[in-house]
Amino acid sequence: MRSVFLSVAAVLLAGAALSAHHSYAATYDTSREVKLEGKLMQFVYRNPHSFVQVQAPDENGVMQRWSVEWAGTAQLENAGVKRDALKVGDEVVIVGRPSRVTGEYRALMVSLKRPSDGFTWGGRTGEVVD
Amino acid sequence: MQRLGSIGAAIFWLTLSVVVWPAGAGAQPARPQTPPDISGEWRLENHEEDTTAQPPLGDYLGIPFNDAGRMRADTSAESIWGTPEYQCRPHSTPHQWRGLGGARILKEQDPLTRSVATYHFQFMRSLDRPVFMDNRPHPPAWAPHTWTGFSTGEWIGNTLKITTTHLKDGYLKRGGPQTSDMYVMTEYITRHDDILTIVTVVDDPIYQDQPYVESTTYMIDLSSVVAMETCNASSFAENGGTDRHHVPHFLPGQNTALKDWLKTDNWVPEEAARGGVKTVFPEYRSTLNGSVSVANLVVPQSKSVGSVRERIAAQSPRDGEVHLLPVQGNVFMLVADGNNVTASVGAEGVLMVNTGSAKMTDKLLAAVNQLANSVLSAPATNKCAGAVCPGSWGWASPYINNVISSPAPPRPLRYIINTSADPDNIGGNEKAATSGFFPRGGGFGSAVESVGQKASIIAHENVLNRMSTAAAKEPAAPAAALPTDTYYDEFHKLPEFFNGEAVIVYHAPDANTDGDSFVYFRHSEVISAGNVFSTVSYPVIDIQKGGSIQGVIAALNHILDLAVAEYRGQGGTWVIPGRGRLSDTADVASYRNMLTMIRDRVQDLIRQGKTVEQVKAAKPTMDFDGRFGATTGPWTTDMFVEAVYKSLKEKK
Repeated sequence: MRSVFLSVAAVLLAGAALSAHHSYAATYDTSREVKLEGKLMQFVYRNPHSFVQVQAPDENGVMQRWSVEWAGTAQLENAGVKRDALKVGDEVVIVGRPSRVTGEYRALMVSLKRPSDGFTWGGRTGEVVD
Repeated sequence: MQRLGSIGAAIFWLTLSVVVWPAGAGAQPARPQTPPDISGEWRLENHEEDTTAQPPLGDYLGIPFNDAGRMRADTSAESIWGTPEYQCRPHSTPHQWRGLGGARILKEQDPLTRSVATYHFQFMRSLDRPVFMDNRPHPPAWAPHTWTGFSTGEWIGNTLKITTTHLKDGYLKRGGPQTSDMYVMTEYITRHDDILTIVTVVDDPIYQDQPYVESTTYMIDLSSVVAMETCNASSFAENGGTDRHHVPHFLPGQNTALKDWLKTDNWVPEEAARGGVKTVFPEYRSTLNGSVSVANLVVPQSKSVGSVRERIAAQSPRDGEVHLLPVQGNVFMLVADGNNVTASVGAEGVLMVNTGSAKMTDKLLAAVNQLANSVLSAPATNKCAGAVCPGSWGWASPYINNVISSPAPPRPLRYIINTSADPDNIGGNEKAATSGFFPRGGGFGSAVESVGQKASIIAHENVLNRMSTAAAKEPAAPAAALPTDTYYDEFHKLPEFFNGEAVIVYHAPDANTDGDSFVYFRHSEVISAGNVFSTVSYPVIDIQKGGSIQGVIAALNHILDLAVAEYRGQGGTWVIPGRGRLSDTADVASYRNMLTMIRDRVQDLIRQGKTVEQVKAAKPTMDFDGRFGATTGPWTTDMFVEAVYKSLKEKK
């Protein structure tokens, strides 16, 4: 019983922490997705939101430095994503919601895969940035 | 979901009717009231709005926007949060009561009377907001604005009325609706047992036709703890790419998703979704059946009190006086009849950045002298008596000298730095330099004689070129007013510390003119920005003298690269504008953001083949004109737009 209570409390706390200071709906076009395949340049594990930066081509095939917004540390930790989960140089495949602003290389994380070892995030319970 | 401001307005008036006039017709005998205790931990009740939801783009329901407010909201991008200067900013003050995480209200008492001297309001994404209950006045208009503003409170019956001024520009709620930095917020807080009702009245004369009223409900919650959200921002832009100066925004008409939310919330009339004073009152319902047109709808009027133009002008008053504002470390800001002068005052003397207009020189120098005396020659309390006190020579206590003789005068004015050749920056050069002293002695022969031993005047060499050459309407400046030490590189360092710190003069190429500088006091952490930054007008760009909008924006970006916020995007490095109130990184970022948006809008109109007159007619500055524009005077909005146009046409 105690563990159930703690789980609920953890979810509530995580929920409070992840609620965006900015509006996702206003920042990102939630009706579209963009797929980024490239090399991880930076993993910023922090609050209020973590960021993954990836060098990947844009729709014209030009390499860009993409900034992908992820969850805060509490939510990622609860999902088993630790600070050392990703390393610079990892080849990753990211699906995200693109920015509403034309020309911005920014996205909201929907899913992340690392083909080299099968690491995935996104789709399971609690693995959504909302 | 209830979002119409009219509901808030109704609650507001109902609340006041209950608490402000409790005796009313009941003829109860008046008796002293003890204000209720509002301190404690409070939990937000989501009765008025589902604040856990993500507000969609284009939801302006209940906001009495004017056209400028609507344009500002339509063109602002939520991605602005990703810029380095805004990543850690707290929620804007009007939104705090609707933010998640609860509220904590603390009280600080006067130790003598035990009355509440100050309330402190805290939220999850806030700084501490003190509410002073001791009748202190609000700061002058040239004092800085902060995220939380400056709040004073008073009890009206059982309701605490809080008035907050000096707020930074922000937003009414997430997702688009913005505020200017000229809004005043009034809160009415009433406790009914365990319920706290907060009515907020946001009066923004720049973006609203009348105040925006909201009510929010909290419940006491002894078991809750207000969360503290940490913020670990970095200097990279979260918006992707590699341009840390990127300013996200929508060009007018480009934000095509404003009505998307109405596809699901199809009960909302499209017109009401756009806000506006005629849509926020119950009378609006009569337009839905077509019995009254919106144009003919009559609604209550509640205009702002006072002129916003006068309030903006008060940040840089042209009152013939000199006003002093201590800034940080050695540095002081002197507001001298519409122009800011920066002074470094310390043991090694005085350094002035600019000398104001000629007519103000005597008052300015008197103020600087008084300042130097008070800083450096202030009477010291006798802390030791006898012959063994620190600093004593011989038999007498050094403090005896303080009693029996006047203190030594401060060291004189040694440096003047001119940030441009603008008459309002150099007007006092001759008198000020003559009143000062710069030791240039020994071994340099006649060259020394020709310079004399007056204060050194430092400027970019293009300032000297302009001052020493007569122009159409401007005679050459007298020799004694000319810069004595010029530089031509990207910066000029004073060769040694002055008043214990490095002072660096940076060139701002092709900004207002081709000779602009700004000055960085590296230990005091103050930047004197000169004319590239103003809080009372658009930048004055003189194309004929080499100025450009690109240069002004580049200079502001340079300032932002040097400056560091103290905490959560405010304070830290202070920035003294050429005109207007004392500012920080967030204020400079806001000004930079505005100019970048205007540049991009004009550039887009040029790309469409518009002429300068067509560009002016398109009103690309409309959402900022109420704050920074002018239709009369030496620098009108039309002149500014034309300068931007020419900058972009001629200097691609």
